[in-house]
Amino acid sequence: MQRSAVIAGMTAVLLIAPAARADDAVPQGAPAPPPPTAVQSVPAEDAEAILGQRVTDPEGKDLGRLVDVLVDANGQPQAAVIDFGGFMGVGNRKVAVHWSALHFRPGDVTHKVVLEMTPDQIKAAPEFRDPTKAAAVVTPTDAAPGATSP
Amino acid sequence: MQRFASLRPGGQRALDLVNFFVADVQTAFGPFVAVYLTTHKWTQVEIGFALTLGTMTSLISQLPAGVLVDSVHNKRSAASGALVGIIVAALLLALQPAQLPVLVAQILHGFASCVITPAIAAISLHLVGHAALGERLGRNARYASIGNGLAAAVMGATGAYFSSRFVFLLTAALCVPALVALWAIGAGPYARTQTTARVMDIAGLKRLLVDRRLLIFGICVMLFHLSNAAMLPLAGAAITMRAGHFANIIIAACIVVPQIIVAVVSPWVGRAAAKVGRKWLLLLGWGALPLRGLLLAVLPGSWPLVAGQAISGVSATVFGVLLPLLAADLTLGTSHFNLCMGILGLAMYLGAAISTTMSGGIADAAGMQTAFVALAAVGAFGFLTVWLVMPETRPAEVSPPVPE
Repeated sequence: MQRSAVIAGMTAVLLIAPAARADDAVPQGAPAPPPPTAVQSVPAEDAEAILGQRVTDPEGKDLGRLVDVLVDANGQPQAAVIDFGGFMGVGNRKVAVHWSALHFRPGDVTHKVVLEMTPDQIKAAPEFRDPTKAAAVVTPTDAAPGATSP
Repeated sequence: MQRFASLRPGGQRALDLVNFFVADVQTAFGPFVAVYLTTHKWTQVEIGFALTLGTMTSLISQLPAGVLVDSVHNKRSAASGALVGIIVAALLLALQPAQLPVLVAQILHGFASCVITPAIAAISLHLVGHAALGERLGRNARYASIGNGLAAAVMGATGAYFSSRFVFLLTAALCVPALVALWAIGAGPYARTQTTARVMDIAGLKRLLVDRRLLIFGICVMLFHLSNAAMLPLAGAAITMRAGHFANIIIAACIVVPQIIVAVVSPWVGRAAAKVGRKWLLLLGWGALPLRGLLLAVLPGSWPLVAGQAISGVSATVFGVLLPLLAADLTLGTSHFNLCMGILGLAMYLGAAISTTMSGGIADAAGMQTAFVALAAVGAFGFLTVWLVMPETRPAEVSPPVPE
């Protein structure tokens, strides 16, 4: 008991140490001292990395990969860009889908992202091309396949 | 002189294997790199930069690599060096998919490809001589397309079931039989002076560069790829839009079926180039382009697009056989065969680079059908250039194959 508490304390120091060094590196004459950094650990079953992760349909069939996330001004995810299909890199097609169409299972070791859309909806979806322009985001709540919101 | 060839009766077979394995190796370094980097959490901007760097390297290295291969006496050494570079590039990609190693790998592979293409053509010329070169290049194209098609099928399947890293480890491993086969070819007896430049050969260089036929053929090559390069990616995009679950299988067919056609018809094209002359075959290959573009524009559904793509097998055969053959025709009497290959390679890369950008823009603005029609129109312009401007290049002494 005593020992594990000591180890936990040492781990905490180790985690904070790099942050403290980063604070030292702030150039002199900075307007205000940076807020104190708190380090909190996020267990692997609570959050996962999603860039490059496989996306499947609800039955588990492979659809493509998650390649980008579109966020609003508050940093809330609005849509995910998914790279669909292709063979040896030919015929890939990027489509932006609404965030609510995706389900994540961080606890699952395969880390697959599940997309709640039918093949017809994906097929009819407009391609996501230029990140600087308005993206056509496919929302699955509409009954009509390929319904988009500008 | 004859003793060279008789020493190595298996030289032709070894050269077949070199073409087969080198094509295997090159398959992984295409658009597949983008898929691989995506799995390693690369962002789209970073991937775009890495791919552009590879293309730019190939573009800039064409002429220097041609000069380099001209200056190396033993072309098998040049090709071996390039293969070692490709092994390093494949291992870097497989083991260290971080920013710097991947960019180094892209540069290494881009340069190595510019060396190995002319080197294999020069080795072929050494082995069989100018008179039999057409037939030999037909064999090269046959084995290269078998290698390409098999590698695409195997790597596509293994990439789906194993990790995509495995594809690059396999690529590095396949360079080893390529190297063994390369050294089993032996030294060919023919055309040594045509492929090995003397230092400061200003007269020969000038003769090559002011050759009007080279300028015309360079333009034809550029127009060919301006029309050709974007058709497969565009067809792939059309298929993913039309087909649901089967899209990947149809795209795989679009890649593999033309390779089968190349494997079947290329020896015939090689022999015909020696018999009926180059121009008729150039017309066939360049003429297939507008036909394919129009078919891709009007064919319904997704499976029929495979038929449209199959026509690309004809133009790919003609291009693969006739480009080195014309380089040999145009450099008769000079010592700059590999530089000429580099000049034509540069024209090819320029056309291909503009093609994808141009067709992407047209597809965005006016739809995919318009983009296919525009590519077909460029192809038709290339066909007319071959027809009306390009002269026959078959040298007089080669025209009747001399029977014993």
